[in-house]
Amino acid sequence: MSSSVPPSTSAISTEANAEEPQRDSSFLRYISTKLGGAALSLVMVVILGFFLFRILPGDPVAAIARERQMTPEQVQLLRESYGLDKSLGEQFIDYIVNVFTLNFGESYVYSQSVSSLIADYFWPTVLLTGTAAILAIILGLWLGTRAGWKRNSRFDKFVSSSSLVFWSVPTFWLALILLMIFGGTLRWFPTGGMVSLDAPSDPLGYSLDVISHMVLPVITMTAVIYAQYLMVMRSSIIEEATADYATTARAKGLKEDQILNKHVVPNALLPTVTLVFMHIGGLIAGAVTVEAVFSWPGLGKLTFEAITGPDLPLLQGTFVVFSAIIIVMNFLADLIYRRLDPRVRRA
Amino acid sequence: MPGLTFEDVSITYSTSGRNDRGEVHAVKNVSLTLPEGGTLGIAGESGSGKSTLAMSVLRLLPKNAKITGRVAVGDTDISDLSFGQMRALRWAEASIIFQGAMHSLNPVQTVGAQITEALALHVTDKWKTAQLRQDRVKELLTLVDMPADKTASYPHELSGGQKQRVMIAMALACEPDIIIADEPTTALDVIVQKQILDMIAKLVSERGISMLMISHDLSVLATACDQIAIMRYGEVIEVGDAREVCLNPKEEYSQKLAAAFPVIGDTESRMRPVTRHGDQPEDAEAKIDFADDGPKREVLLEADKLNVTYTSSGFKVRAVKDVDLTLHRGEIIALVGQSGSGKSTLARALLALQDTDGGEVRFAGEKLPAGGRELKAFRKKAQLVFQDPSAALNPKLSVYESIAEGLRIHRYQGDEAEAVAQALTDAELTPPERYFGAIPQELSGGQRQRVVIAGALALGPELLIADEPVASLDASVRGEILGLLLKLRKKLGLGALVITHDLGLAWNIADSVAVMFRGEIVEQGPTEEVLMNPQHEYTQQLLDSAPSIRAGAA
Repeated sequence: MSSSVPPSTSAISTEANAEEPQRDSSFLRYISTKLGGAALSLVMVVILGFFLFRILPGDPVAAIARERQMTPEQVQLLRESYGLDKSLGEQFIDYIVNVFTLNFGESYVYSQSVSSLIADYFWPTVLLTGTAAILAIILGLWLGTRAGWKRNSRFDKFVSSSSLVFWSVPTFWLALILLMIFGGTLRWFPTGGMVSLDAPSDPLGYSLDVISHMVLPVITMTAVIYAQYLMVMRSSIIEEATADYATTARAKGLKEDQILNKHVVPNALLPTVTLVFMHIGGLIAGAVTVEAVFSWPGLGKLTFEAITGPDLPLLQGTFVVFSAIIIVMNFLADLIYRRLDPRVRRA
Repeated sequence: MPGLTFEDVSITYSTSGRNDRGEVHAVKNVSLTLPEGGTLGIAGESGSGKSTLAMSVLRLLPKNAKITGRVAVGDTDISDLSFGQMRALRWAEASIIFQGAMHSLNPVQTVGAQITEALALHVTDKWKTAQLRQDRVKELLTLVDMPADKTASYPHELSGGQKQRVMIAMALACEPDIIIADEPTTALDVIVQKQILDMIAKLVSERGISMLMISHDLSVLATACDQIAIMRYGEVIEVGDAREVCLNPKEEYSQKLAAAFPVIGDTESRMRPVTRHGDQPEDAEAKIDFADDGPKREVLLEADKLNVTYTSSGFKVRAVKDVDLTLHRGEIIALVGQSGSGKSTLARALLALQDTDGGEVRFAGEKLPAGGRELKAFRKKAQLVFQDPSAALNPKLSVYESIAEGLRIHRYQGDEAEAVAQALTDAELTPPERYFGAIPQELSGGQRQRVVIAGALALGPELLIADEPVASLDASVRGEILGLLLKLRKKLGLGALVITHDLGLAWNIADSVAVMFRGEIVEQGPTEEVLMNPQHEYTQQLLDSAPSIRAGAA
C-alpha cells in the first residue's frame, strides 16, 4: 500500500528551515487595531453616557424650580433652554452633535459650560491621583519584588500583611482618621482644599502650599492602592524566580541580585504592567471619595456634586471624561506591554 | 584539563510545610568519575536523582539540599570554594546545556545578549572588549550552524532545534573544560534530535571537553557517550562501557530500561511493549488475534482527500494536503512525522475540531456532522487523549469529577459512580474507589495518563485519537500505557489513531503506519512493511535518525 513518489533530497526538511518564523514588524497595524478598539469603546461610552443619566430618578428642572419662586411659564422656559422639552431622540441627536464639538452643554448648578468646568477641575485631579499612583506603583513594585524574592522571610510576611491591612480599610475611614489626627489634633496639615486663601504668590511658596494640601489625600490614596501592585508583583516574582532561565543565569555565574534585576524582574513586570495601567484609569474615577473628604477641587468632587443635582450635562461630561481616561490608559498599557515583551512586539 | 569526580556523594532534601515528606534522599552514596576528555551518560527515570547529582556540580541545588561526600571539578573540591570562587568557576570551567528547547532561555532578551552576558561575566584576553565579545558571539553561532544575524533574535522566534543550538553555543562560550548536558534533546523530534546529538558529540570531542550527559532515554546516551551509569532511586546500580551497558546489561532494571525503547525490526518487541511487571501474556494473545483477521473488518473512520489551510498574516499555509486515511474498527494506526508536519491538525480535523476546506471525513460510513445533536453524539464515540496528562487534567478536580464530567455532559442515564468505577478499572486503576477523591497532583505521571484515558473510556467510545500519549512519560510507564492501549482495543474493540514522532512506538503497538511529511501522507501500510522496507526517502530519514541502543555497537 506504500504510495507516492519520493521527493528529491533537497525537499526534505531539516529543522533549520522548517520553522523559520516570519518577522513582521507590523507596528502600524498593531497601533491601528488598538486605536480602532479604543475609538469604538469611546463611542459606546458616549452613547451609554446619554441614556444612563436619563434613567436617573429626579427631574432637574423641578429641583431648580424648588429653590426659587418660578411661574409655570418660567419653568417651561427653563425646560426649553435646557432642551429638555424635546423628545428623547432629538435630545440624543443634539447630544451627539455637541459631544463631537466637545460641547457638553451648560451645567444646571454652576451655570457655566461643562467643558470649562471640567477643564478647571481636571488638573487638580491629575495632580492628586497622578502623585498617588506614582508613589503606589514605586512602593508596590519595589516592595513586591523584595517580598517575592525572599518569599516567606520576615520582611515578606510583614510587608504583605501590612499592605493587606491598608487595602482592606475603607478609603473614607482612613481619610477621616488622617484628617482628624494630622489635620485636626496635630494641625500639621490643612484639612481641605488645594490652596490656602492667603497662599504666597511666588512660585516656590505657592507650590509648597499646594504640596502641604496634598500630603493627606495622597497618603490616603497611596496607602489604599499600593497593596494590589505589591501582591501582583510578588506572585509574579515568585513564579519567575523558579523559571528555568533563572537557573541558566545562576549557572552562568551571575550574582543573585543580578539574576533578580536582569532576568527575573523584566519577566515579572509583564503581567504587572497591564494591571497597573488598567488601575490608573480606575484610580482617577475612584478619587471621588478622597476628593469629597478633603474638599479637593477635582473631577471627583465635581461628580459628587453633579449627582446630587442631578446636573445631567455635568454628569455626562465627567462620565465621558472618566471613561476616556480609562480607555487611554488601557491603550497606553497595550503600547508599553508591546515595548516590554518581544513576543508581542514581533508576533 | 580536569575531569569530574563524585566520591560517595549523598544529597538530601529536607522538606517542610505543606509538602512535608521529611528527609528525601535524592542521591545515595554515589561514586562516579568522568575522566578528562571523556563522556559519561547517566540514565534514569524521573526521580532517580540524576539531575540533582548533575546540578550539585555547580552548587545549583536549592537551599534545602544537603550534600555530603566529595564533588570535585579537577582537583578542586567544590565545597571548599567561597561563593565568589564558585561563581567564577560556573560557566568558565563547567557549563550546562539545559533543555533549551523549553524555557531555559530568557524570553525577553535577545539570544545574542544572553550569550554576551556569559562572556562579560568571565572576561578573558580573547574577548576583552565589547567588540571582541560581539565577534565571539557570531563565531559561536556559526559553530552551531546558525546564521550570525540570529544574535538579534528572541527565543520565541527560533524553532526548538535552533533554541537548542543557541544553548549549545552559550555553553561553549567561555571555553569550559566540562559540559553537563541535561536532557539536551528531550523535547525535540527524531531528526532534529540526531542533528543536535551529532553536533554536541563533534564539538565536545574536537575540543577535548569532558561531558556528563543526562537522559531518560538510554538510546540517546548510547549515541553520544563512552560510558553509561544507570541510576534508580538515587543509587547508581550499574556503570560501565556504553556498549556493554546497553547490549549486555547486568541488572534486571537496566535490562528493562534498555528494552523500553524497542529496536525496530526486533520481533521480540513487536506488539509487546515492555512493562514494569514483565511481559504480559495477554499482549502476546492480542498479537495473534489481530494477526489473524487483519484489515478486512468494518471501516470506522475514513478521510477522503482532506485539506486544511491556515491563513496566518496573509499567507496561506496548507497544513493538511489531500489526505486519504482509513481506520478499521479495532485497528491501531500510528501517524508519524516531525513536528510541524501537520499530524495534530489532521487529528483535529478528523474529530471535527478543525474547519476543513475540501475533502470529507466519514465516521462509520456517515459524513461527520457539522453541529447539533449529531455532532454531540459523534463526540461521545470519538475521544481524544493528549500528550501531557498534567496539563490535560484540571488540577482542581478530583479524579472522580474529571471522569464524571464527560458523563454529565452527555446526560448519562445509568449509575454514574458505577460508570466511573468501570472506566477506572478499564484503565487499570484498581481498586477504583481508591482514586475517586485524588487530585492530579497526588498521582504519578503514568497514573494521570490512565485517568485521562479512563475519562475517554467512560463514554464508551469506538475511536480513540491519542496525540503523543507517552512522550512525557518515563520509560517504564511508557510501556505500561502502550500495553493498556493494546489491551483496550482487544477488550473493547477500539480503533485508535496514535500520533507520534516515535517510530519505536509504532513498532510496539501499531498495525499500520502512516508517515506524514509537510501535510501529506507520503507512505502508509502495515507496520512491518513500512518500517522494515521504507519506500519514501523521508521514512528512511526518520528511521536513520531514531537513536538506538545499538548505536554504540555500530
